[in-house]
Amino acid sequence: MSEKLAIDNGTEFPSMDWIRSIAEKSATRRQFLKVIGAAGLVALAANVVGCGPKELVVINALDNPKLNVDDALKMIIGLPNRCVGCRRCEMACTEYNEGFSQPSLARINVRRNFLFGPEGARAGFSGQGIFGNFVVNQETCRQCPHPTPCMMACPYEAIETVPPVNARVVNLDKCKGCRTCVDACPWGMITFNEVDKKATKCFLCNNDPQCVKQCPSGALQYVTWKDMSKDIPARWVIPAAIPQPTDVSCEDYGCHPNFETD
Amino acid sequence: MAEYGGWTGKVLRVDLSTGAITTEDTIAKYKDYLGGAGLGYKVLWDEVPKGVGAFDPENRIIYGVGPLTGTQAPTSGRCSITTLWPMAPAINGTELPGTGHMGGHWGAELKFAGYDALIIQGKAANPVWIQIIDSDVQIKDASSIWGQGILSSTLSINQMMGSEAHVCCIGQAGENQVRLAKVCCDLSHSGGGAGGVMGSKNLKAIGVLGTGRVNISADKDSWHELVVEWLTLMGANSGGVVPANPEPWAEYYGGTRWTATEGLTYGAANPPVLVGDCPPDNLNKLGLRTHKGVLDFSAKDPATGKKIGELITVRMDGCHSCPVRCHIDTYLPRLAADVPGASPYAAETCAGWAGGSMMPTSKDPWIAAEQKIYGTQLADDYGIWCNYSQFQADFKYAYNNGIIKDNLSEAEYNSIPWDLYEASDPAWQSDLYRRIAYKIGEFGEALGEGSYRLQKRWNFPDSYYLTEKKNWKMGHPLHHSVEAAGQAGVVIQWLWHRDASPHTHNSYIGCGLPNELKLEIMNEVTGMPDSLFPAHNYQPVTAGFVRFAVLSMIYMEMHNSVTMCDYNGVAGAWVSPLRDKKYRGDPDIEAKILSAVTGDTVTREEYEKIGMRILTLFRALTTKYMNDKDQRNNHDTCPPWLFDWPGYGDTPAFTPGTDRMDRADIEKTKDLFYQQMGWDVTTGVPTRATLEDLNLGFVADELAKLGLLP
Repeated sequence: MSEKLAIDNGTEFPSMDWIRSIAEKSATRRQFLKVIGAAGLVALAANVVGCGPKELVVINALDNPKLNVDDALKMIIGLPNRCVGCRRCEMACTEYNEGFSQPSLARINVRRNFLFGPEGARAGFSGQGIFGNFVVNQETCRQCPHPTPCMMACPYEAIETVPPVNARVVNLDKCKGCRTCVDACPWGMITFNEVDKKATKCFLCNNDPQCVKQCPSGALQYVTWKDMSKDIPARWVIPAAIPQPTDVSCEDYGCHPNFETD
Repeated sequence: MAEYGGWTGKVLRVDLSTGAITTEDTIAKYKDYLGGAGLGYKVLWDEVPKGVGAFDPENRIIYGVGPLTGTQAPTSGRCSITTLWPMAPAINGTELPGTGHMGGHWGAELKFAGYDALIIQGKAANPVWIQIIDSDVQIKDASSIWGQGILSSTLSINQMMGSEAHVCCIGQAGENQVRLAKVCCDLSHSGGGAGGVMGSKNLKAIGVLGTGRVNISADKDSWHELVVEWLTLMGANSGGVVPANPEPWAEYYGGTRWTATEGLTYGAANPPVLVGDCPPDNLNKLGLRTHKGVLDFSAKDPATGKKIGELITVRMDGCHSCPVRCHIDTYLPRLAADVPGASPYAAETCAGWAGGSMMPTSKDPWIAAEQKIYGTQLADDYGIWCNYSQFQADFKYAYNNGIIKDNLSEAEYNSIPWDLYEASDPAWQSDLYRRIAYKIGEFGEALGEGSYRLQKRWNFPDSYYLTEKKNWKMGHPLHHSVEAAGQAGVVIQWLWHRDASPHTHNSYIGCGLPNELKLEIMNEVTGMPDSLFPAHNYQPVTAGFVRFAVLSMIYMEMHNSVTMCDYNGVAGAWVSPLRDKKYRGDPDIEAKILSAVTGDTVTREEYEKIGMRILTLFRALTTKYMNDKDQRNNHDTCPPWLFDWPGYGDTPAFTPGTDRMDRADIEKTKDLFYQQMGWDVTTGVPTRATLEDLNLGFVADELAKLGLLP
């Protein structure tokens, strides 16, 4: 993957690799901010300081104590040429975990690429999917290595590495539904339960992934983990700054010393 | 409706005349009919009086999904589109009702948006489309897409709603109220001849984006167990429970669509997918069992000796939630090079490929494939239905017998590029479909009227009904009748006013097991002796054989209501690929799965009784609209070829090898059929006792008021 990631409007943004390398090298959040800002994102960074519901905070990789977490041991991958587009995997995901069918909450995503492929409707008849060459690109969680974007972004440390296969799992007791992780995943793989107001992501069904078991064409495979976060293009470029809940941002910057966080 | 799973509890209603968008309670109004076709019939009964025509604003078009739609209940992605059927005969000004069975992903999306059905009524002042994003429903101006084909209309709406929305829409044919017009979703999944009704309402399309959920009443572990149990009992497309080819693991083989075998590939996949053999115990290959490309494009490529269908198949495709894939995605780059405007890609199922069959088939198998595929592309863009290929059959008959020439002016006849037709040039079809979609001239207008009106308008001779073994009655073809199931197949053609399109009986017959075993299992299912005759070896009718037909109709209408696919029919319920179960399925499984989803526990008997209710309501609808008490003689008719086809020669009925039926025996079949349905034997109309037993007392009251109750 190149240092810069080109997106459709021609703007160049730093790649995830680059952001991570800076994050790992930086000693403090402010230093991280400064470097990111120097990379041409000053306009965004300028919004970071201050408070109120709309304020923005850069992914707080540096203040997060969970450094050097263990890599995942397993992951789910999709084989696009074998996918027959039935979307039973999405239903298996929620039916066998939550007990209801809701593809919009599923932690595997076929629906998004089903008609047009990753480029979306602007691909017209020349992309993938039903409108194009019929290839269906399944999207699965990469179970990213450190710094895991969703994990690093969560202001409540609610995304944890959980044995036996070190899946990155949302701890529902800690999740406060701020959606920071939803915005932070470059592949858009975090879904949000609008009823319970909790985020959710692929946790490999505790080492027994139901989508893989239910796939009628062997198009999903449960394999030894490898770092695919470096090879698969991000679905979108994550903003250099992500809106955070007021309680967290105010706590961090100390602008309201008496602010009640709960 | 917190107390039930499955149903979302809401039916959406859009009145295009007033712009009113309302919802109503599914459980209170429609629970007895489940959803899908059953719900549609109830809406017609309640709201559309006789005298209303298919294209009148008072007609309703009901897109019904059911309690199973959107769940992992296998094959549940279907949507039933019920309306007064434009191609059916108009009696007393009312076209008789019908249902189009649409697959794809649109139905499930409607469910996720929070609706068990969508009822459209009235007529918009200007062309509109409907945007449904969960509870946000809007009627939108369609002036920028009106006049466009299905492909670009669908794309336009996806560009407005986003690339995850599913769209069902009509092409130019539907806009112009061509009776043969169809509704299509996800580009290639058509819902029969209901397109003109949308056009008559100035309704171009319905885009849906749903983010909601379908609740399942059972706990997740028992639900998991039940789904896996059913998957284990499933076979291949159209009921096959044994492989088509000899496999080392198979006791029986042959005659099915379980075509996967060692060495077989999706040849146009990148990289090609080796399908291989797919033994029954491997559920991760269930979706690969049916390689339908090699059946629908069975001619061989002279260069490689491989079937063209293997070389052009990108993958098997199909509907939401279905593990049995029957829709073929093809890639044929030479078509785009040979025919201006053609795409190298196409997707269709079975009779949908019939387009090219109206032309003389090219001797070059690749050109023959181009004929088929290009016809499909045009039909799926203009939005023109094949009427289960009766359209093509009638065209060919008319052309070969000089009927087209007789009915067209010389100038019009000569304006048709017959040289291309005779040369088997696929491009000829673009002229044909354009004329139909825009009702150009007598040629375009007459062909678009559908077979019933076309046969009358062009004065097809009486001999047509004697020699052509496809046409049944009312301009619809038989759809698995006497050629597969003798008298049982005849019974199944009677009830509806379009091709019956049931596959429950045909799937059972085509399951691939030996005849003795099929008879043994069916006798267990019906609880009667002699419940099945092997194809082409019929005996005088028995009560068991009629019971087989009645059960097949019950399960078909239940499939169209809960919703499930009838094409994959009985596999699971009656037969299975499991040798250690002696190939038995689980006849209770459909009742079990409905109970598990809804939490409203029904036994198999109760499940079948709901099917009886839906069938009986449909018969009452027909009686009301025809205003005819004598359904037995005026509706449940047989074509003369059934008894007197010249090809039967002197061979009498019930001789092994012939399909000839016997008139007296068919009358006896009717007696048995009406008895088993609880309908009056003299008239074929449901009795009050039966109606009341089925909780349809209000139907009995209205029929009595109209003087139609026996």
